[in-house]
Amino acid sequence: MTSSSANSVKSTVIRTQPLLGTFIEIRASGASRERVDRAITRAFAAVSRVQRVMSPHQHDSDIARLNRAPLGTRVRVHPWTARVLRAAQSLSRASDGVFDVTVNTWLRRPAADLRQDAAATPVTDWRAIVVGPGATIRRLSDVRVDLGGIAKGFAVDRAIDALRRAGVTHAVVNAGGDLRVLGRTSERVLVRHPANPAVIIPLLDLTDGAVCTSANYLDAPGHERLRRPDGRALAADHHSISVCAPSCMIADALTKIVAAIGVRESRALLERHRASALVLSRNGRMIASDPASHAA
Amino acid sequence: MRAIWLLTPAALAASTSGHATTYLSVAEAQHVLFPGAACSPVALSLTPDQRAAIEHASGAHNGPALEVWRVAGGGWFVVDRVIGKHEYITYAVGLDANGAIRGVEILDYRESYGGEVRHKPWRTQFIGKTSHDALQLGRDIKNISGATLSCRHVTEGVKRIVATYDLVLRQLG
Repeated sequence: MTSSSANSVKSTVIRTQPLLGTFIEIRASGASRERVDRAITRAFAAVSRVQRVMSPHQHDSDIARLNRAPLGTRVRVHPWTARVLRAAQSLSRASDGVFDVTVNTWLRRPAADLRQDAAATPVTDWRAIVVGPGATIRRLSDVRVDLGGIAKGFAVDRAIDALRRAGVTHAVVNAGGDLRVLGRTSERVLVRHPANPAVIIPLLDLTDGAVCTSANYLDAPGHERLRRPDGRALAADHHSISVCAPSCMIADALTKIVAAIGVRESRALLERHRASALVLSRNGRMIASDPASHAA
Repeated sequence: MRAIWLLTPAALAASTSGHATTYLSVAEAQHVLFPGAACSPVALSLTPDQRAAIEHASGAHNGPALEVWRVAGGGWFVVDRVIGKHEYITYAVGLDANGAIRGVEILDYRESYGGEVRHKPWRTQFIGKTSHDALQLGRDIKNISGATLSCRHVTEGVKRIVATYDLVLRQLG
């Protein structure tokens, strides 16, 4: 996803760092180059902190410690980790387990592996993760947590927060598929065409909110990263799924739910979060959650 | 929040392709990674032995010559360019006085097609890495399906820079 703007202010800076498994691009405007640079550095530091505490690949992260802690043991985590897990649990409850941070690693496996393991039941149970008081978490059964479906959006929210606190009036934080706009100026957000990723098309005009896009089109057939909780591939024509919401964390997570159960089934949950979705198929077919917001 | 979806069947036909972004100039990246510190260029000419040692230590093939600056007060600033399947990426790495990675900033990014690197999971934990932490594809860094080449080249580039510090820059102290 990329975005463009015709906004003109005193000083606009655009920087990119490799973080969270992607390139995080931050474009921010403010009173002076010096101030904007400082703000962006703080925003990258916030993203970096999210990576440090939530990456399952980093040995000393909260998530890695939780995943290897003995069952029942309270693991003290960063307040941000507890916050993301609480939000994830709430979405799991509301979606009846469609969103489940304990299934993620299993979901990422290629379809061929899943077929070979047809006998093995995936270990998934969001209820086995308990977020306790004082930012402590414990596992009641041997499930693994992977916040890949929600933490990137949260990191974008923290970056936006850092920019706002540092006095930035307008900014876009783009973490690949997760993007959030700060300020009153509208940003045009673009997306790749699922039938031809080299083609970029306009998706929406967004002010002070987030949009996340998940897509299968770059994955080889049978190796799609987006899967339903039962391991099956998505609906045949759900090739690019975008959700906009006030917070990027919510948009990120809702994108996974819409991908799994479709726009119509997700409508109530979308509305509860002041979110809306748009699904695009390779042949150009579109399904919007809220036809009224789908203005030309 | 205010959001207006724009997609219409007509919009699908009207499209653009490929793009390039310049994020920072060399001077801007120096200022970002080492605020207020003077950076002086160092002519780095490696002997064949050094090049072989760097290649051996990093497991990465030598690419184009690195551009290196010495930072007043300690540290190094290095610029490298990697060529992926569909894109060129120029990036800068700041190393502190002990050779630990202080930050990685992308200077410019040009894509002819794809841009998988931009929006595919690509796990990097560069911050705080030294040469003792082997950066390995598949372990430290998640592969990008369909864009393995560009991912590998960026990863190797960072490894090569860390090895160059260990074997050459550290001695220049």
